[in-house]
Amino acid sequence: MKPLNFLTVLFGKAMVKTLKLMGRDAGNFPGLVLWTLNKNYLKVFSCDCPIIAVTGTNGKTSTTNFLNNLFRSLKGKNGKKAKIITNMQGNNLDTGIGSMLLQYCDMNGHIDADYLVLEVDESHVPVIFKHLKLETLVVLNFFRDQLDRNGEVETLILKIHKFLKTYNGNLVLNADDPNVARLGYSNPKNKNVYYYNVEKYEGATDELYEAGEGRFCPKCGEELAYDYYQYSHIGRFHCPKCGYGNIKPYVQLQSIDFENNSFSFEGESYTTKHMGIYHLYNLSAVYAVSKLYNIDHRVVKKVFGKFEVNNGRLEKFETANASMLLNLAKNPVGANMTLRLLNQDKGEKELLFVLNDNIADGTDVSWIWDINFSIFNGVTRVVTSGTRAYDIAIRIKCSGYDPDRITVQPDLDKAAAEIFKNGGTKYGIANYTAIQPTRAALKRYIERKGGEKS
Amino acid sequence: MSERKLKLLHMYPNVLDLYGDSGNVEVLRYRCAQRGITLEVYQHLMNKPDNTDFSDMDIIYLGGGADYEQQLLADDLMSCKDRIFKAYENKVFLLMICGGYQLLGKYYKDSNGERIPGLGLFSYHTEASTNKRDRCIGNIIVETELVGKKYKVIGFENHGGQTTDVKTPFGKVLHGNGNVRSGETEGYCEERVIATYLHGPLLSKNPQLADYIISKALERQGADSTLAPINDKLEEACRKELLTRLLSK
Repeated sequence: MKPLNFLTVLFGKAMVKTLKLMGRDAGNFPGLVLWTLNKNYLKVFSCDCPIIAVTGTNGKTSTTNFLNNLFRSLKGKNGKKAKIITNMQGNNLDTGIGSMLLQYCDMNGHIDADYLVLEVDESHVPVIFKHLKLETLVVLNFFRDQLDRNGEVETLILKIHKFLKTYNGNLVLNADDPNVARLGYSNPKNKNVYYYNVEKYEGATDELYEAGEGRFCPKCGEELAYDYYQYSHIGRFHCPKCGYGNIKPYVQLQSIDFENNSFSFEGESYTTKHMGIYHLYNLSAVYAVSKLYNIDHRVVKKVFGKFEVNNGRLEKFETANASMLLNLAKNPVGANMTLRLLNQDKGEKELLFVLNDNIADGTDVSWIWDINFSIFNGVTRVVTSGTRAYDIAIRIKCSGYDPDRITVQPDLDKAAAEIFKNGGTKYGIANYTAIQPTRAALKRYIERKGGEKS
Repeated sequence: MSERKLKLLHMYPNVLDLYGDSGNVEVLRYRCAQRGITLEVYQHLMNKPDNTDFSDMDIIYLGGGADYEQQLLADDLMSCKDRIFKAYENKVFLLMICGGYQLLGKYYKDSNGERIPGLGLFSYHTEASTNKRDRCIGNIIVETELVGKKYKVIGFENHGGQTTDVKTPFGKVLHGNGNVRSGETEGYCEERVIATYLHGPLLSKNPQLADYIISKALERQGADSTLAPINDKLEEACRKELLTRLLSK
């Protein structure tokens, strides 16, 4: 036992306990305190079990939740259900992960589990896995996201690239994102690189439809050529000059059927609750991991078919005669994905958009101008809310939408009442710090008035 | 009255397109359309030589880009030098944001220490700290007199570059940094030039600035440059709220 480690763990655990006694969630705080005392505090933790981590701009929480459900169905060391430690609530910075590990470790900092399934913020991958041995890293995508906080996308990719130069574990990469696929070359000696993708779907376009990031070949700088775009810059690309992008995927999601919510992997058919294209990419990543760990496809089938993340990720809210599908959108691609679902829906509907500019959101809201509102099928009314309710209203107006059909209501409870004033179909989009308050306001409204018809 | 029509050249739309900057073109198009003015948008793309006569345009627009992308297009921009100079002499309105602003000066030394030569149309120059975290980031309010009276321009700045030797700044900083950290002035302007760090996008919350550009462009054609008022209730409410929030601190 190293006495210093013991003291660190003791002190950390005491903080977690105190916070719990105070009725508070441990969150980031204990990790932050330890980090302040010692930047390398994560090295007090040790663990023998496999660590599977998910990173990327969009879809981390959903993918991690799906993986957690898969691994839970496996048998653990003691013959019982596997013990999984996971940060499903999205505490994905090093301080959040440290705080969580403090709750599970023994006094020597040892973590006893069968699997650690972690979602990790893109910029924190190197610092976390400098000390914890990573077995599998899944990289979903890189989009422009909170540029004022995270810096340019390229800086972020280079950070992970540097970490991967000496990494020899499993690397599960999105073959259709040129910014992700390039990480397969970070360590030419790593034989454990696996690509996943989704076959061309009916919503794919010949031209870039939504603002994208990977326009140039990361190897030679030539402009990339695309056979098609699935969404944003995700699609089948190749470099006409150096050939970068000719990738044979390890798994591919195929035979997409929107009517039956079904698709297939390797000839086997699966279903899911929602058919958003970005969601199918997440499932393809999950399937690749399930294959690496030899998880029975019947288990995969059950998890894909039944599991829903909710928590503001395609979550349904219903009143007597209205229903809303609410989705988190931290960046233009997230918002565009909800708009694709809205446009796939042929009937009339109303949209609630909640936009905040708190520090955790990034205080720059200009990303909303990268949302593509040019198709806005059957939207009869828009209600906007949040600390930047007017900004999003102006954005929608300048896309050509009638300003008289936009209601600005910065107060969330009033906005919830406003959007449910009429019955029918609603869609909701809320950004990072807006999503939980929006859920709470919708629930409060439904508790009070949900039984009545609008 | 004959139909009013404007031509806008959007340079490098798929390279210089950080932070929603293309929204400026959308705002101009919207505000033109509300007045029955057609805004035709042309594009100049990187490494795709074209014979577009820049002087035949009414507005030339350049947005902002990341360091890597700015490096990539430096050569192509240089090949357009003569056409841009000529357009400037012919009083084509130049609107440039962030990277576009920097590249029309003498040079830009980026955060990797890489020196990118600018077109030198204007005499200012820009240097960024090699510490990538050392950036001016946040909401910004600039008071300009370009539109013929004092007008508060609201936007968002996010730049590592520090621009100095600016002869005629766009405006006075009321909140935020401006051309240099904790600076007093922001951007560069002439009667038919606006070069600024302001994203947001710039024109989205500053409708009078958008209208100034449109009417100056019409004036050059000798067309009727009066613009009928349009429904700006959302913009007015947004400005009122943000000015109160940012200036009362």
